Amino acid sequence: MNFSLDEDHIALRDAAASFLDKEVDLSLLLTHGRTVQDSNYDGLWKKIVELGWPGIVIPEAFGGLGMDYIDLVMIIGEMGRTLAPAPLFGTLAGAWAIERAGSAAQKADILPLIASGERQVCLAIADASGAPGEGVKATPTNGGYTLTGEKSYVVDADCADQIVVMGQDDTYYLVDRHADGVDVSLLPWRDITRQVCSVRFDDAPAERLEQSGNVWPWVKDRLYLLLAAESAAGIATVLADTVGYANERVAFGRPIGAFQSIKHQLAEIAAQSECATAGVQYAAWALSVVDAKAPLAAAMAQAYASEAYKTATHRNIQVYGAIGFTWEMKNHLYYKRARANSELLGAPRQQREEIVLWLETDRPDKAAA
Amino acid sequence: MDFNLPSETDPRRLEIRAWFEAHPDPSYTQIAERGLAAPNWPAPWGLSADPETQYIIEEEFARAGIIPPYNINAIAVNQCGQSLLVHGTDAQREEFLPPALACEHIWCMLFSEPSGGSDLAAIRTTARREGDHYIINGQKIWTSAADKATVGVLVARTDPSLPKHKGLSQFLLDMNTPGVTVRPIYDMSGEENEYNEVFFDDVRIPADRLLGKEGDGWRLVMEQLQTERSAMTKPGAVWGFGPTARELMSGLIETGKIKDPLVRDEAAQLFIEGEMLRLLVYRNMSNRINGKPAGLEGNLGKMIASPHGQKLSDLAKRTQGAAGLIENQDVLPLPDKHYGLFSNWDYAFWFGPASTLGVGTQEILKNTVAEHVLGLPRDTDPTAKVPFKEINKTKLKAAS
Repeated sequence: MNFSLDEDHIALRDAAASFLDKEVDLSLLLTHGRTVQDSNYDGLWKKIVELGWPGIVIPEAFGGLGMDYIDLVMIIGEMGRTLAPAPLFGTLAGAWAIERAGSAAQKADILPLIASGERQVCLAIADASGAPGEGVKATPTNGGYTLTGEKSYVVDADCADQIVVMGQDDTYYLVDRHADGVDVSLLPWRDITRQVCSVRFDDAPAERLEQSGNVWPWVKDRLYLLLAAESAAGIATVLADTVGYANERVAFGRPIGAFQSIKHQLAEIAAQSECATAGVQYAAWALSVVDAKAPLAAAMAQAYASEAYKTATHRNIQVYGAIGFTWEMKNHLYYKRARANSELLGAPRQQREEIVLWLETDRPDKAAA
Repeated sequence: MDFNLPSETDPRRLEIRAWFEAHPDPSYTQIAERGLAAPNWPAPWGLSADPETQYIIEEEFARAGIIPPYNINAIAVNQCGQSLLVHGTDAQREEFLPPALACEHIWCMLFSEPSGGSDLAAIRTTARREGDHYIINGQKIWTSAADKATVGVLVARTDPSLPKHKGLSQFLLDMNTPGVTVRPIYDMSGEENEYNEVFFDDVRIPADRLLGKEGDGWRLVMEQLQTERSAMTKPGAVWGFGPTARELMSGLIETGKIKDPLVRDEAAQLFIEGEMLRLLVYRNMSNRINGKPAGLEGNLGKMIASPHGQKLSDLAKRTQGAAGLIENQDVLPLPDKHYGLFSNWDYAFWFGPASTLGVGTQEILKNTVAEHVLGLPRDTDPTAKVPFKEINKTKLKAAS
């Protein structure tokens, strides 16, 4: 039993932090009218590729670094802390779908290219309704398939070379992003630190990934962990930012942080920040050791962290006062990321429903840590 | 990192379990002699057990169906006894510790006063030295177990010419001393009294019952309360005791009440919060094992744990509707195990308002977290630096 981070984890996190502190420049976005296209998405990604992060959890047999999910959340946390605009989410999501649904040959073909950064992928799950859906139909052709239909809320589709598409009955298809019949459009997504797209398929040529069934639940647990890790680190950084401002800003002859109405709110966020971080680390560990409670742990982390992130970013703007509501401050970037993280994979209420369903089958006195 | 809890076949566990199997009905004296009353204390009192071994021992007490000594004599075992190890004299240790660990002498903590409340250091009870005795006059309130206690750990003011935190000292008081009067306080739960008032009327304490040195009182109080708050961060309904969100969830599932969509979502939120609290408790435990000193995280944990417990018993109570206003211990079915004092949801609910008051109100706790953990500006106390006996005059001056 050891619930504390090892030295290696802390060293990895510190290295990621100093790299991202140097390379991420959110000021590019802090002029009215700027969008994700002004965020240096590709430029930052090139540097991230040089560090090998695309392959961090891809098994060594497929050219990756084969690290575990605790290592992963050290890096993802820093991406979340700095709101690093770069297609790591899409890359990991696509790679996980291929790792789970691909045949041995497909994995050997594609995963090494992803790990080396030569190929960018993404994962298209949701229909226009926002829920994972069956809105894309696959039709067999000579030696392959064609896809027709629409997916939405696809993260990192525009910069991808290949899109992994969820079809019907938990089947998956690989489509060339630049093929005929594939139309990617950037959504005017409020969180401009992330590329979110809709994708239309019109008889688009596709290759089927060989395995199906039980792919989405496996991938979803990992995506919950990703968003929760971003959110937990986001809470901590937003809290530190709010505390800093409350210590600095003077009104009525005192720093506003001397007022109990502010102290008490920030104390509550501090407690939630601790809980969110602990929940993320537990989920990362559970996924790494393939613990039976990993799905429960991942859903708990995502539900808790996204609710707390929304609270923390709202409070952050309130403590700043009106200046925190302006486009030129970065407060709104965190606020929007918090809102996006709590909707992108379904609202916290949905994860809570998954938790109760899990407990109804497997009683709570046997549950969790 | 390894979130696995100590396994069923952990050799430390097997050793403890073997002892309980060989002693199926042990006396508390036997338990204390085996070092299990205060396993974290050094020999000869305890086993110098690390937090993980303590956790195992706690589980084995539960498994054997024996109420652990720290639930019976919490003040001695958890909060104050350790002060004797560090600050006491050999004679004090010999006289006070063996009967305390054997649960023969119950202890109580004579800290809070009616005039002070959360401003604990504003203690008015006085201890005046007279020859080889101290003479105590004053009043304490909210004293758990004072009516059962043989020993009271008393904080009193020995030097009113010093500022309020400085002139305090601690004493080991024989509760049977003439001049000590204990009156029960019946709280709103209507159950057997948890709290008492204690009055001191020229109570004589031999000078060798002073704990530590004169003027050490506040430092000892801080050490003792820190331990107490950490113990209160567990995810139970009241101060870490009683049923948890896991039992709430299992009761709601068993009765089918979980099908109500609003109950369902609320219960899930509480379940998650309870699991997060559990993780914090384990993480603090493992930080201790890894040699990180105990910090202020006990405050942070209690800050979430107290309202968490209130929310648990509130949801349990609401599932009853109007029937919840009728005295009834069977609010929701509970898995059969030892829950400590708060062994049913009804009592946990009606006692619940106290859990954000005891050991410092929720508001004081938030101040502590904001100031000491986050580094926000300290609240100023205009009376902190003034000699205690001058404080009333200062207040009058400010008012005029």
